[in-house]
Amino acid sequence: MTTETATAPHNSSEMPARRRQVLEFLLDNLVWLILIVVLAVFSVSIDQFLQIGIFINILQNSTFIGIIAVGLSLTLIAGHMDLSIESVMALAAMVVALTFGTGGAGGALALEPAWLAFPVSLLMALAVGAIVGTINGVLVVRLSINAFIVTLASFIWARGLVVALSGGRSVYGLPDSMRVMAVDQIYGIPLLAWMLILVYIVFAFILAKTPFGRHLMMIGGNEVATYRAGIKVGAIVTATFILSGMLAGFAGWLLASRTAGATANLGIGMLFQAFAAVVIGGVSLKGGQGRLSGVFAGVLLLSSIQTAINVMGMPPHYTQMIQGGLVLAAVLLDTMKNTIRRRYL
Amino acid sequence: MTTTTPLLQLQDIRKNFGAIEALRGVTFDVSGGEVVALLGDNGAGKSTLVKIMAGGQPPSSGKVIFEGKERHFESPAEAKEAGIETVYQDLSLCTNVDVVSNFFMGRELTRKVLGVPILRQREMEIETAKALKEGGTNIPSLRVNVAHLSGGQRQAIELNRFVHWGGKLVLLDEPFAALGVEQTRRGLEMIERVRQRGIGVILITHVMAQAFAVADRIVVLRHGVVAGDVQTSQSSPDEVVNMITGGIERVAKGLANQPETGAGT
Repeated sequence: MTTETATAPHNSSEMPARRRQVLEFLLDNLVWLILIVVLAVFSVSIDQFLQIGIFINILQNSTFIGIIAVGLSLTLIAGHMDLSIESVMALAAMVVALTFGTGGAGGALALEPAWLAFPVSLLMALAVGAIVGTINGVLVVRLSINAFIVTLASFIWARGLVVALSGGRSVYGLPDSMRVMAVDQIYGIPLLAWMLILVYIVFAFILAKTPFGRHLMMIGGNEVATYRAGIKVGAIVTATFILSGMLAGFAGWLLASRTAGATANLGIGMLFQAFAAVVIGGVSLKGGQGRLSGVFAGVLLLSSIQTAINVMGMPPHYTQMIQGGLVLAAVLLDTMKNTIRRRYL
Repeated sequence: MTTTTPLLQLQDIRKNFGAIEALRGVTFDVSGGEVVALLGDNGAGKSTLVKIMAGGQPPSSGKVIFEGKERHFESPAEAKEAGIETVYQDLSLCTNVDVVSNFFMGRELTRKVLGVPILRQREMEIETAKALKEGGTNIPSLRVNVAHLSGGQRQAIELNRFVHWGGKLVLLDEPFAALGVEQTRRGLEMIERVRQRGIGVILITHVMAQAFAVADRIVVLRHGVVAGDVQTSQSSPDEVVNMITGGIERVAKGLANQPETGAGT
C-alpha cells in the first residue's frame, strides 16, 4: 500500500498544485457531477420532467432514506455498520402510531393541549431509536461482537416487534398536530424536505468541525492508534450507534406523520436503498472514508431515477434493477477514482 | 522524598500469558533527563514491558511507581495523562486523515460555541507547521492525507509529535526502524533535545550504535529478566552483546530485588 508513496519524492506532488486541487475537487464531488448530468438528461429526454414540482418531489421522497443513510454513514465511517435502521424506523413509527392513532390498532391517546402530541411523539420516537442504538452499541463495544451480526439481529427482532405490537393490523388517523411535518411548507418547500436538509447540514458540520467527528474518522482509519492516543474509542462508537438509532427514530416519526399511521411492513426495502445511496455517495465499507455531501447526492440520485421512472410510467421493478446496477457502478467508480489518484495526484 | 527519586521505577514486574512467562521479575528505573536504552534479543520481553509502562497491559504482578507513587494504568489514556508518551514500533498514525489531525490526535484544540466544541483548525495547522519546522522535517502540505506520505515522513510526524508534547517520560519502541541514515541522526538529536528539557527517555532498539550514541545507561533484557544494567560510559558494545546473548550478567546498580534466576535457565 505504501510502496508507491515511499519512493515518491515530494517535489513531484508539489508541481501541479493548482491542477491537482481541481482534480481532487472533481474526484471528491464526482457524485454531484453525475447527479447533475443525470438530471439534465432526464430534463431533456423526459416530457414533463423539468418542473419545480418534480424536483421538490425528488427532495421530499428522499427524506426517509436520506435520514437513515446518515446514521448508516456514521457507523460505516467509524468502521462498523448499522443494518437495524430500517426496522428501528418502522418500530418508532409504529410505537408513535399505536399511541396516538385513532383508527385500527391505535390507542387514540389524546393529550391536553392537543399540540403536546407533537413533542411527546417526537421524544418517544427518539427514545425508541436511542434504546435500540444503545443495545447495538453495547453489544458491539463491550462484548466485541461484529456489528454486522449485532445489527442484523436488531434488524430482525425490531421488525418482529413491529408486527407483534400491532398484531399485524394497521394504524391510521393521527391527530392534526402530528401531521404538521407532512402537510406544511416553508417557502414552498415541504417541511419533510427541510428536515432532510437540516439533518445533513447538522451532521456534516459535526463530522467536519467537531472533535467527535474527527475522532470518528480516525477510529475508522486506525482504531489502535486512536486508542493509544487516549481517545475514548468505546464511548465514541457507542454514541455513534445511539445517534444512528435516534436518526432512524426521527425518520420513523416523520414517516408516521407522512403516512398518517403505520403498517407492519412499513419501510421494507429502505435499508438496501440507504446502503446503495451510501456506497454511491463514496462512503467506504472499510471505514474512515466518506462525506455526507456525497451521501446526500447519492440519495438524490436514487430518488431522481425513481421519479423519472414514475414520470415515464415504466413499471417500478425497473427502479430496482437500475439501482442495483448503480451500486455496482459506484464501486467500480471508486476503484477508478483510486487509480486516478494514484497515477496523477 | 529527595530530588534523586527516579521518575519511573519498575519493581519485580512479572507478566504471564497463560503458561508463558514473558517477564519474570523486571526491576529498573529511569530518572528525568536520563536516556535509558533497553536492549534485548527478539522475545526478550521488550515489547511487553513497553506495553506495561504505556498502560496498554497490566502486569501480572509487581509495582509501577511513577513520580514516587504506585500507579495502575488502566489504559494508554491514563498513562498519557500522567505524562508518559509512547512512540510505537508500528506507527500510530491514521493515514486516512491529514498531517494536522494526526499531530493533534486526541488533543485537538477547540473553542466552545454555545457549549459545542469546535475544532480550531487554523491554530492547529500553524502549530503543526512550527513543530515540524523546528524538527527539520519538510512536508509539502499539512492538509494532505498521511496515506500520501513516505514512510520516513510518517515516522518524522510521530517523532515530532513526542518532541512537541513531551510529557515527563517518553517511551520509544524501535522508533528509527523505517528511517534512513540522515533521518536517524536527526531522530537521535531529537532525543537529545527532549533529554535537555528534563524528560526521561526509554529507547528500545536493536541497534547497538544508537544505544551508545544517546543513552546514559543501558539495560539489557534477557528471557524476561534484567541481565545487565550499566552506565554507557563504563561499558562497551562487546560487553552488551555478551549480556544480550547470555555470556555475562552484570547489574551495576546492585538493585535489591534482583530476581532469583529460574531453575530452567
